[in-house]
Amino acid sequence: MKLISKTILLYLLISLPLLILAGFYAYNLINTEVKDGTDDALYRETLNMQNLVKTLTQPRSLYLDADSLTGVTLLKEKSFDYKTSDTVIYDRLEEEDLRYRLHRSGFSYNGNHYLISVAKPTLEEEELKEGLLTAFLLIFGFLVISFFVVNIVLSRTLWKPFYKTLQRLETYNINQQEEICFDKTTIREFNKLNDTLGRMTQKIRADYRQQKEFTENASHELQTPLAVIKTKLDLLIQSKKLGQEELELLQAMENAVHKMASLNKALLLLTRIENKQFAENKTVNMPGVVERALENYSALYESKGMTIKKQLATLQVEMNPILADLLVNNLVQNAFRHGVKNGTVVVEIAGEKLIVMNTGEPLQVKPEELYLRFKKNESSAESLGLGLSIVKSIATLYGFKLGYAYTNGTHAFSVWLKPQTDLL
Amino acid sequence: MKVLLIEDEPELRKSIKQFLYQEGYVVESADDFMKASEKAADYDYDCVLVDITLPRGNGLDIVKQLKKNNSRAGIIIISAKNSLDDKIAGLDLGADDYLPKPFHLGELNARIKALIRRRNFEGNQSIVLNEITILPGERRVKVNSEEVGLTTKEYDLLLYFVSNKNRVVSKNSIAEHLVGDNADQVDNHDFIYTHLKNLRKKLTEKGCRDYVQTIYGIGYNFKTD
Repeated sequence: MKLISKTILLYLLISLPLLILAGFYAYNLINTEVKDGTDDALYRETLNMQNLVKTLTQPRSLYLDADSLTGVTLLKEKSFDYKTSDTVIYDRLEEEDLRYRLHRSGFSYNGNHYLISVAKPTLEEEELKEGLLTAFLLIFGFLVISFFVVNIVLSRTLWKPFYKTLQRLETYNINQQEEICFDKTTIREFNKLNDTLGRMTQKIRADYRQQKEFTENASHELQTPLAVIKTKLDLLIQSKKLGQEELELLQAMENAVHKMASLNKALLLLTRIENKQFAENKTVNMPGVVERALENYSALYESKGMTIKKQLATLQVEMNPILADLLVNNLVQNAFRHGVKNGTVVVEIAGEKLIVMNTGEPLQVKPEELYLRFKKNESSAESLGLGLSIVKSIATLYGFKLGYAYTNGTHAFSVWLKPQTDLL
Repeated sequence: MKVLLIEDEPELRKSIKQFLYQEGYVVESADDFMKASEKAADYDYDCVLVDITLPRGNGLDIVKQLKKNNSRAGIIIISAKNSLDDKIAGLDLGADDYLPKPFHLGELNARIKALIRRRNFEGNQSIVLNEITILPGERRVKVNSEEVGLTTKEYDLLLYFVSNKNRVVSKNSIAEHLVGDNADQVDNHDFIYTHLKNLRKKLTEKGCRDYVQTIYGIGYNFKTD
C-alpha cells in the first residue's frame, strides 16, 4: 500500500469512530434540549390555562383545538398531580403521524376539579436522525477529500526527495562503474537517509569488488597447480606397472581433478560474464546455434535413448557469439542431463522466445532457486550445479527474461531473446 | 622435431618435457623471459610453447620477437589466464593456437601435431596408419581406400586417438577434447562410450582392426604396435 493511501486510511479510520461518537452526542443533546424546551413551554401554557379556568364564571370543560389534545376537562373528583408523555397523532392535513408532547395536570379551584391538558408537536426523531446523518456524512466526505488533497500536496513536495532516492536505488546496479549519488534536500531526515545509504552502498561495493577480485585471483592461481596434477596423472597412467587397484585410485584422482578444473573454469567464466568481458556483439543466427548444441550433445541423448523434437523459426539476435553458444549449450545440456531415460527433449524457437523442454521428475528445489550457484537436484551428481547460473548471468547481462514451468511431467525453460527494459 | 618450451613452473615444465621426450621430440626449455628470448633468437624450432606470465617479461613479447625474425616455428600459447583478450592478442600477434591451463598432455600433443601438420604440409598431407588413412584437410577417413562416413565428433575422437596412439588417454581428456570449452561439464562418460561404440562399429564394418583397448576404468589406448 502506498504511503499516501495508508495515511489517508489511518486518518479515516480514526475520524470515522470520532464522527460516529460526535453524532450520537449531538443527537442526544438536541433531543434533550428540545424536550426540555417543549416541557417548559407546556408548563407555561398550563399556567395560562389555570388562569383561564380561574376567570370562568361557570365551571365547565373547554376545548381549544380540533384534536382536543389541548383543553380543560371538568372532573367529578380530584385527579392526579401531573403527567408528561409522548403521543402520536395522525395529522389529516399532512397525512402522517406526528409526535406530540402531552402534559396533563390536575387543578382544583373553588372546589371544582379540572384536568388541564396541553400538547405541542415535538421534534421528529427520524427527521433528526436523518438530518444529523446527512450532516455528518457531508463532514466525512469533506474530510476525505481534504485528506486526499493535503496528502497529494505533501507527497508532491515534502516526500519528493524520498521518492527520488528510492528511484535511484531501484535503478542502481552494484556492478556498475559509477558510484551512486543522491541530491541534497532541505529536509534533515532525508539528507541523513541519503548519507547513510551512500555510505552503505559504497561499503557494499568495495566488499563486493574485493570478493570478486579474490575469486578471480584464486581461480587463476589454482590453474597452474591443477595443470601440474593433471599432467603428472597423464604421465602416471602410462606406466605398465599399474594393477587394477592402482588404476582405480588414479581414476578417482583423475575425476576429482577434472571436476575441480571444470569448476574453476566455470567460476572464472561467470566472473568474466559479470565483468562484461564479452563485449563484442555480432548478429547471431539462433537456429544455427541450437543445431550445433544438439550435435554437441548427440551422444548424450543417444546414450539415454531420448527423442529430439525441434521447431526452429528463424531468429537473429545481437549478442556475443561465445555467450550465445554458452547460453544454448547449457540449456540443452541441462535438458539432456535431467531428462528421463527414453524421454523427449523439445527445442523450440518461436518469435523471440527460445524454449527447451524435457520430460522429467518434478523439481526437488524451489524454481526460484534453480539459478543459484551449486543448487542442484540430488539425482544428478555429475553436474557442477553451475550450468543454469551461467544461463542466468548471460540473461542478466543482456536483459533477457527467463521463464520456467513444469506441466504434465515436462520441464520448460524459456528465454526471451530480447532485452526487457523492466529487468535491471 | 625440435620444440622450445617456455614455462616457469618447474613441475609443469618437467611433465611437459618428459612427455614430449617420450613422443620423440627434441626439447629445449627456458624458465624465464631472458633465457627464452635468447634461445628463441639463437636456434630454429618447429614449435614453441610459450606461457604468457613469465618472470621478468611477458610471453607475448616472445611471440612478437619470433614473428619479427620470420621464424618458421609454430607457436602455441599456454596460459593460466584463459582470458579472451590474451587469446585475441596472442593470435593477432601470429601465435597459431591458445591452450588454457590446466590441460591434458594428450590435448597438448594433439595440438602440436595438428600445428606441425598445418605448417609443414598446409594440411594436405594424409595420416596413414596401417589400413586407416586420414585426410585432415578434408576431414575425411578411409579404411582400405574405402570411405568411412563419420560424424564430427567421431572424426575428432579418431584423430585424437591417432595423435596419441600407443598412449593411455583418460576418459576425461577425451571428454574435454570433444565437448570443448563448455563450462558445466559432465562427469557422466556414457556419451564417450556411445561415440566410441559408433566409431568402432563404422571402422570394423570396413574391415578395420579394433585398435582401441579399454584400460580398466581410466580410459583407452589406441594400440598400433
